[in-house]
Amino acid sequence: MSKQIKTETKKSDNRADKLKLYSIGSVVLLIAIILLVNFLFDRMFGNALTFDFSDAGQNSLSQESIDFIDSLPEGTAIRVVGLFSRPDEVDSTPYQYIIPLLDDYVRKSDGKIIVEYIDPNQQPAIISQLDPTNSYNLSQKMDSFVVQYGGKIKVISPIDCYSYDEEYLWQTGNYLITSNNTEFTFSNAMYSLVKGFASKAYVITGLKNTGNTGIMSIMDSMAFEVGEIQASDVFSIPDDCDLLILNGPNTDISEKMFVSISDYLNRGGKMIVAVDYSADNITETYPRLNQLVNIMGINIDPLLVFENDPGLQMSENPLYSTVNTSEEFAGYSNMPYFTNAFARSIRALETPDSIGTTIPALFTSNNAQVKSVDANGNIMDNGSEASGQYNVAMYSYASNGAEMFVFGTLTFTSDTYLNEYGYNSYNADFFRGCVRELNDMNDAGSLNISTKLVDNYSIDSTKATASNATIILVIFMIIIPLALVSMAVIVYTKRKNL
Amino acid sequence: MSAVFKREFLSYFRSPVGYVAIAIFSFLSGFIFYSMFSQGVANIGSEVISLRSFFVIIVPIITMGLLAEDKKRGTEILYYTTPINLFSVVVGKILAAFALYAVMFLNVIIHAIVAVSFGGTIGVGSVGSIIVFFFMAFMFISMGTFASAITDNQIVSAIVAFVIILFTQVLSTFAEYIGSAFKSIALSIKISSDAAAKIGHNIDSFISWFDPFAKTTDFRIGIFSVSALVFLVSIGILFMYLTYRVLDKKRWSQA
Amino acid sequence: MIEINNLVKKYGDKRAVSDISFTVNDDEVLGFLGPNGAGKTTTMNIISGYLSSTSGTVKVNGHDILEEPELAKKQIGYLPENPPLYNDMTVREYLNYICDLKGVAKDQRKNQLDRILSLVKIDDVYNRLIGNLSKGYKQRVGIAQAMVGDPPILILDEPTVGLDPNQIIEIRKLIKSLSKTHSIIISSHILSEIQEIADRVVIINNGKIAAVDSISDLSKRLSGQTKLLMTFKGPSKDCVNKLRSIHGIVSAIPRSSGNNLSQIEISIASDNSTEVRSSVFFMMANAGWPILELCSLDPTLEEIFLSITSGKARK
Repeated sequence: MSKQIKTETKKSDNRADKLKLYSIGSVVLLIAIILLVNFLFDRMFGNALTFDFSDAGQNSLSQESIDFIDSLPEGTAIRVVGLFSRPDEVDSTPYQYIIPLLDDYVRKSDGKIIVEYIDPNQQPAIISQLDPTNSYNLSQKMDSFVVQYGGKIKVISPIDCYSYDEEYLWQTGNYLITSNNTEFTFSNAMYSLVKGFASKAYVITGLKNTGNTGIMSIMDSMAFEVGEIQASDVFSIPDDCDLLILNGPNTDISEKMFVSISDYLNRGGKMIVAVDYSADNITETYPRLNQLVNIMGINIDPLLVFENDPGLQMSENPLYSTVNTSEEFAGYSNMPYFTNAFARSIRALETPDSIGTTIPALFTSNNAQVKSVDANGNIMDNGSEASGQYNVAMYSYASNGAEMFVFGTLTFTSDTYLNEYGYNSYNADFFRGCVRELNDMNDAGSLNISTKLVDNYSIDSTKATASNATIILVIFMIIIPLALVSMAVIVYTKRKNL
Repeated sequence: MSAVFKREFLSYFRSPVGYVAIAIFSFLSGFIFYSMFSQGVANIGSEVISLRSFFVIIVPIITMGLLAEDKKRGTEILYYTTPINLFSVVVGKILAAFALYAVMFLNVIIHAIVAVSFGGTIGVGSVGSIIVFFFMAFMFISMGTFASAITDNQIVSAIVAFVIILFTQVLSTFAEYIGSAFKSIALSIKISSDAAAKIGHNIDSFISWFDPFAKTTDFRIGIFSVSALVFLVSIGILFMYLTYRVLDKKRWSQA
Repeated sequence: MIEINNLVKKYGDKRAVSDISFTVNDDEVLGFLGPNGAGKTTTMNIISGYLSSTSGTVKVNGHDILEEPELAKKQIGYLPENPPLYNDMTVREYLNYICDLKGVAKDQRKNQLDRILSLVKIDDVYNRLIGNLSKGYKQRVGIAQAMVGDPPILILDEPTVGLDPNQIIEIRKLIKSLSKTHSIIISSHILSEIQEIADRVVIINNGKIAAVDSISDLSKRLSGQTKLLMTFKGPSKDCVNKLRSIHGIVSAIPRSSGNNLSQIEISIASDNSTEVRSSVFFMMANAGWPILELCSLDPTLEEIFLSITSGKARK
């Protein structure tokens, strides 16, 4: 009897056990299939099945970069190292367009470009490995990328890749990127490393007390090799000079310099000149410098610009103001909020020697004045000229290729200003724009990759008024939820009594 | 399947649950939209991304009763004794919750229309975010339904769903902790620091691989990755199948 | 027709149902009896497909419930012990949902529901919320639910439990009327109900079948003895002793006690072979104890049930 029950028990358990086994087995099998499918999609087809639908191919390389990478010989090894652990969440961080694009470099380079993320805190050796002489001070740049090729490196900080909406950042603490130069920056960094530095800029030193660190690092980040030329009796401009900068001289240039630079301009040279009106140069009228800029049809007047339009004044001071820009230069920065202080008036002046055609670059409102100032900084009697529009910066170009920007203010180039507002302020953007304009990257042997405009989600500011915002608040946060809650109550009470 | 779908979907609107869930969603999305609007921006993509963090609250509300309530009422017997396939019951229930989510999402559509009429744009990133949102909703609803299948208590089911979804949201952080924990263990058993760091890093990145949020983050900038969507769908299907297996357990369970 | 063969259901080591076999014929009402925990509900759950058996088969009109579940389940309408009702739905919504579940075609739906409604008599609550209905109505909605889809077989688990007498009569009538066109398996604690409705009964105890038979055959099988109930005036103790001495009387048990001469009832059991009534009459007459009433008792299902489940059935 007991034996019979036993065998029956065994038999009957079989079915349940079989079902159980089938059930668990099918789950295990499904998990295995899912892992396999995901592995396949992730590792094998992942790249092929990833599509960049963003406007302007925000996150994929443009044909210029791809052509450049393809032109590199087999076996080229460009190494990009992010000096941090790869963040998982890049939304709303400076890396949001950089990291996906770097992934695309890896995808499309066929092993020629390697991207790594190494946190020096975890592997301190990486710093001395990348920069043995510590000339880039990498340990202080742990948000940056290092592009390395053939022992040479270039440091790219996220700032170099974008223009931000500073206003928005200040108000909300979030980055609202206005345009994206990531591909431009990285591809050109690689380009210049591979080809050697393509463009060379020289900054004239010795005519002023404060430095040129700001513009030099901006240009460095723009793939320029920047050198300095001391203002001296043996002043000469090297043959490889692609761009010459004279930033805030407190004294006039020497005769030797004039000859040398005018010769440079007549050979089709590019130049940026920036002066202003300050205590250090209040009596300086720059006759030789004017003679030089006259070649390009520009003159620097010893007149101080006063902005009388209260809407443009800052801190109700006519000497600090916002200046407007013209159509041609509006694209240099996302927002035309350029600040200007203690500006000299810049005007067009045709002389018989002039070879340039001028375009006003930055100018005041129609309600500005220029005034003569004495050595003590006081406005001279009868020194005021009539109200009108005055230029603060001008651009000039000549048929021989010579180009020049002349700024009557130092708010675009001085260390004082750039350190205070950052290398990404609108003024700095404008300066970058000028550099790009002068150093037409295409000709200068760099890759011409256009800046990508980032999706702009701003709404029409005339419609986004406070009252409309209140209407939005009332409708979406009060009326709709309340209507739903009251529907809930109605349905509940109605059905309760059915 | 359509029978179960119809009943479950309509039952959200026969009781206050559906209205209240939509009201909560409307309020939250309205708040996000308003905060952006008042600053002169209307980015539907980032609104949708912010709304993703509310899955952890809304999904348990709409899935907690799906199967737990049937067990408690004894109505689950209908699924076993009528000629309907158990799997289609599960599919119908998940679809019903999903459809409720779609109804909730009308709010965002209205916001998008408002944004456009106020001169804003709907970029490709917004479309990407919306696509991810729905795939993710499917995945989390499957998880919630699974939580509802393993208990006959709605509250327990809601808590389980909450914990599961919360866990996926902090997966990356969790991965970091586990990674560094393994690193220090490796160090303590005298493995060289480079190797230890590598072990920690590998474990970290292995766990992070499962993070659905990190996987889909590129959609908001317009990069559409099929493999990320495959991941979301396959996890959803896995939980769907697990739910089916839990229901089917009656066939062999000896307990 | 349902064939149940060697059904076994185990929960862990405990056997809830152990080796049950019986068949239900077409258009037959089968009563399913047993004390609490005997395995009635488990068996019905297995037949309806809610649970699966550990071993053994259930075939519904030739379709195995495990191998062809959808075909088999189409044949069955099941009313579980607790009707599977959604309290938050109206009767209309609920029955339409059941139609959806059972895949009733749209064009037949109205006719079928109309017929069921009038049969089960729930027309008047059609638009009301199930949660607000009385127990009796809920039970009827449960029966209506089982009838949706026109299954030829109905399985009703305790359909009258918790109802008041009027409702019980109503339901009983309903089941009787259904029995003309359906095979019905019905379990109940109210044995008189089974006696009235069922053609055959299956009695199970401890998960095993104790008896399967038609009601009349079962009675006959159990009727090894005739029972009499006598009411008289006189001392019960003496009377019992005298009765026991009569040839053929097996037992005499006083239903009420006392030595006074008030009315006393004694139930008497005797061999079928011997006619004892005349002997009793003369004995009582001689003793001077007037018989007020003497009637014969047919065995009730209750007695059959008790005697079988307590293991004292005599063959």
